[in-house]
Amino acid sequence: MKRKIYILLIMLVAIAPSCKKNLDIPPMNIVSDADIFGSISGVESYMARMYSELPMEDFKWSPTGTFNTYYFGSPAQITGEALSRDPQPLTENNPETSSIKTLWANSYILIREANYFMATLPNYASNFGDAQVTSWLAEARFIRAATYFALVKRYGGVPLVDKLLTQPGQSIDDITKNIDDLMVPRASEAGIYDFIGTDLDEAYNKLPETNKAGRANKYAAAALKSRAMLYAGSIAKYNTIALSSGSALVCGIPTSKAITYFKAAYDAANLLNGKYSLYLKNWAAGDKTAQYTNFVNTFIDATSPENIFIRQYKFPDAVHWYDVNNVPRQISTSVSSETSPTLNFVEMFEGMPKNDDGTIKTVDASGKYILYDNVTDLFANAEPRLRATVILPGDAFSNVNIDIRRGIYTGSTSGGINKLVPFGSTAAYPTATVVSSPSSTQTPYTLPNGTKMNPAGLSGYFTNTSGSAGSISGFLVRKYLVPNKPVAEIANNHSDQSWIELRYAEVLLNKAEAAYELNTLGQTGTYTADALSIINQIRSRAGASTLTSISSINDIRMERRKELAFENKTYWDLKRWRIFDKEQNGTTWRVLNPFYTAETGKYFFDPRLDERNTRFTFDPKWYYEEIPASVISKSPNIIQNPGY
Amino acid sequence: MKRKIYYLALALTAAVISSCNKLDNYAPPSETLKGRILDANTGSPVQSEVSGDNGSGTRIKLLEISWSANPTPLYLATKQDGTYSNTKVFAATYKMTAEGAFVPMVQTNVDQSKTVEVKGGTTTVDFTVSPFLEVQWVSGPTLNADGTVSAQVKVTRGTTNTAFQQEITDLWLFVSPTQYCGNNNYDNRYAQHITYTGLTGNDIIGQTITLKTTGGALPTKRDWYFRIGTRINYGTKQYNYNEPKVLTIP
Repeated sequence: MKRKIYILLIMLVAIAPSCKKNLDIPPMNIVSDADIFGSISGVESYMARMYSELPMEDFKWSPTGTFNTYYFGSPAQITGEALSRDPQPLTENNPETSSIKTLWANSYILIREANYFMATLPNYASNFGDAQVTSWLAEARFIRAATYFALVKRYGGVPLVDKLLTQPGQSIDDITKNIDDLMVPRASEAGIYDFIGTDLDEAYNKLPETNKAGRANKYAAAALKSRAMLYAGSIAKYNTIALSSGSALVCGIPTSKAITYFKAAYDAANLLNGKYSLYLKNWAAGDKTAQYTNFVNTFIDATSPENIFIRQYKFPDAVHWYDVNNVPRQISTSVSSETSPTLNFVEMFEGMPKNDDGTIKTVDASGKYILYDNVTDLFANAEPRLRATVILPGDAFSNVNIDIRRGIYTGSTSGGINKLVPFGSTAAYPTATVVSSPSSTQTPYTLPNGTKMNPAGLSGYFTNTSGSAGSISGFLVRKYLVPNKPVAEIANNHSDQSWIELRYAEVLLNKAEAAYELNTLGQTGTYTADALSIINQIRSRAGASTLTSISSINDIRMERRKELAFENKTYWDLKRWRIFDKEQNGTTWRVLNPFYTAETGKYFFDPRLDERNTRFTFDPKWYYEEIPASVISKSPNIIQNPGY
Repeated sequence: MKRKIYYLALALTAAVISSCNKLDNYAPPSETLKGRILDANTGSPVQSEVSGDNGSGTRIKLLEISWSANPTPLYLATKQDGTYSNTKVFAATYKMTAEGAFVPMVQTNVDQSKTVEVKGGTTTVDFTVSPFLEVQWVSGPTLNADGTVSAQVKVTRGTTNTAFQQEITDLWLFVSPTQYCGNNNYDNRYAQHITYTGLTGNDIIGQTITLKTTGGALPTKRDWYFRIGTRINYGTKQYNYNEPKVLTIP
C-alpha cells in the first residue's frame, strides 16, 4: 500500500510541471511561419529559394536532362546552332526527355510556394512597411508568372492554380473528402498566357524601379511580358495543332487573338524605353576590333546597362561549368570543345565571300578551291558579332591563336585542287591525298621542305570525334567564355559568370517582331518603321551593315537568331514559329574544314556535310511536350497532348 | 504465462504477415482484339509506318468505360499494312477509335468512335477512315543503268473535306533493306526527300512524279525495299504511305 502512495506521488511530481506555460513551446526542429515571415532575413531566404528554383534555361539546363545538372554536350546542338561531340539528338519521345519527369512536379511546388507566400505574408505585414510588403508580393507574382510560362511553352494549357488548394495542418481525411476539387483540369492555352499577362502587369505596377542583382524589378516583369506575349501571338498565328479539354482549347490559340497578343508584346517592350540601353561601352563606329571587344564584354561586364534580369553565380557556393565544357582544347584539355557551331549558323552572318544562294564561297567558278596564305584570311572581314560569338579558325582567344585544321592535303596543287568530296556528300575524305589525325596525340607529317607539321590543329579536328576533344565543325563557341581565365580555374564547378536571362537586345527584338507581325496582320501605325529602326540599332552595335528596308519576317527572325545565339532562346523561337519540323527534317548540318596544302603551304576550306552523318528530325508532335504519365494517373481530368 | 504471451505474439505476427500476402487473383487478360483500318475510298487497309503506341503511325485508342466515363486511355500499336491484333486484352467494354494520317474520327460535333464489348475469345473491329492523301505506284521501282533506282508515283487527296486539305510539305522515296520501310526506318544515304515551301506542294496532286534514289549506286546483291511517304501540314503531320515494294539488285 505504502508503495502505491509513492508511485502516486512520483506521478504527481511528473504531471505538475506540465501545467507550466513556459514549457509549452513550439517544436524546435520545425521552421514556423513566424520564423520566416517575422524578419526581413526570413523573407529573403524564402525568396532566395524561389529564385533558385525558377525554371530558367541557363548554363545548367540540358534539353535531354533537366535543370541544374551537369552534363557533357551542348544545348545548342538541338537547334542546329552547333554540333557536339557528345551527341544528344532529339529522341524518340521528346527533345526534353528527362525534364518532363521533374519539371511539371517542381513547377507546381514552386507555384504553391508563391501562392503560400502571397497568402501568408499579409498576416505578418505589421513587421514591415507597406511598401516593402507590396514589393515582395509583386515579386512572388513575377515568380509565379515565370513558372507558368515555363509550363505553357512546353505543354500548352495546364491546370491553373492561383490559390492554396490545401491548408497546412489539414488532415488526410479533410483533403480526401474533396479530392475531386483538387483534380483541376487543364485550362486553355490562351487562358494561361492571359494569366501570365495579368500577373506580370500587377508585378510591373507594384515592383520598385530597382532591386538587388538577381531579383526582379518592374522592368524585368515588363520584359518577360513582352517575351510571353510574343510567344502567345506566334502560336495564335502559326500553330496548326488543336486539342480541346471540355470547352477549353488546351493546345492552340484562336487566330483572332494574334493581334491582341502581338500588341501586348509591343506595348510591354515600350515600357523599357529610356530605362535600359544596348551595351556600347567599348564600341566605336567603324572600328571592327572595338565592336568585337564590345560584344564580347556585353556578356562578361556585370555593370552592363543591357542586363535586365540575371541569375548570379559565385565561386565556390553557386557555380557552373560553362568554361570547362566549351573552351578550345588548347586552353584546357579536361573537357573542352563541347559546342562546335555549324557552318549553317556561321553563314547567317555577313563579311565573308558568299555564293548567290547565301552559302560560303570557297571554290572558284571552275570548281577549284580558292587558296589563302593565312588560315584567318577567309574571315578577315567577318562581322564583329560573329567573331565575338564564334571562335573562327586561327582567331585569338585568351591571347592564343586557336589552331583548328582538318588535315594536310598532300596531293598535287598544280592546276588547282578539285573539291575533295562532292557538295551534299557525307562520304569520307580520300585517304590517298589527305592526312588526318585520329586523336590529339599526333604523328607529325614531314612536309616536302623537310619541316614537320601536325596533320590536325591543336584544337581539332580529330577524326575519332567521340574519343578526343576538339572542334568538329571548324568552329568553337566564343560567347559567354571568360577570356584570360587562369587554367587552374577552368575546371568543373569553377565558373561563376552570371546568366543573363533578360537583356535589352531581346526586348528590342521582341518589339521589332511584334511590330512587323502587327503590320502583316493589317494594323496601321509606325510598326514597319519601328521594326527597321530596331533592327538597324542591333546591327550597327553588332558591326553589321544597316538595312534600308525589311523584306520579310525572316529578316527579323534571322537577326534574332544571330543576336541571341547560344543563349538557349532559339529552341523556343523555332518551336513557336512552328518551323522546327521544316528545318530539321532528316537534316545533316554543314561544317567548314580548313586544310593545309603540303606542296605550296597555303590553306583552303572545304564546306561539307557533317562527316559523322548525324541526322536531326523534329517530330511535329513535339510542339507540345508529353505530359508525364504520373500526372495523368493522379488526375484523369488531365488529358494527354496529341500523339503521345 | 510467458509462453502464452510468446504464442500469442507469434500468432498475431502470422496473422498480420499473411494479410500482406494478398495475391492478385484477377484473371490475366486473355481476349483477342483485332481488325483493320480501311480506306473509305478504296476499301483496302490504310498503310502506315511501324507503329508504337506512342503515336507514330496509326494506333488504336481504347477507353475502358465499364468503370468510369473518364478513364486514362490505353493505346494499341498497329501493323504497317493497316491491320492490328492484340491477344492480351481484358474483357471489358471499350470505346474505340483509330488515330493516324486520316481525318480524325472524333472532332467537335463528330464522334465516329465504336463502343465494343470485348469478351468470349476474338473480337473483330474494323474502322473506315478517309486518309489525307492517297499514294499509288504508277511504275517501278526499276533499276537504272547507273545503279540508282527510279519509281513513278501519283498522289491524290483522300478527303473532300477542305478542313483537311492543307498543303503538302514533304514527299519521300524511302529506301530500306527490310520491308519495315518508312519515316522512322530508312537508309538516309539513298532515300530521296523533296520538301515544298508554301503552297507549291499542292501542284503535285494528280501528277505522275518520278523519284530517284540519291547518293549514288545502291549496294548490289541484296533486296531493297521502297516506299513512298507524303504528308500535309495538319496537326502532328503524320505520313501517308503506299505499300512497300521490293527490288532485288543483282
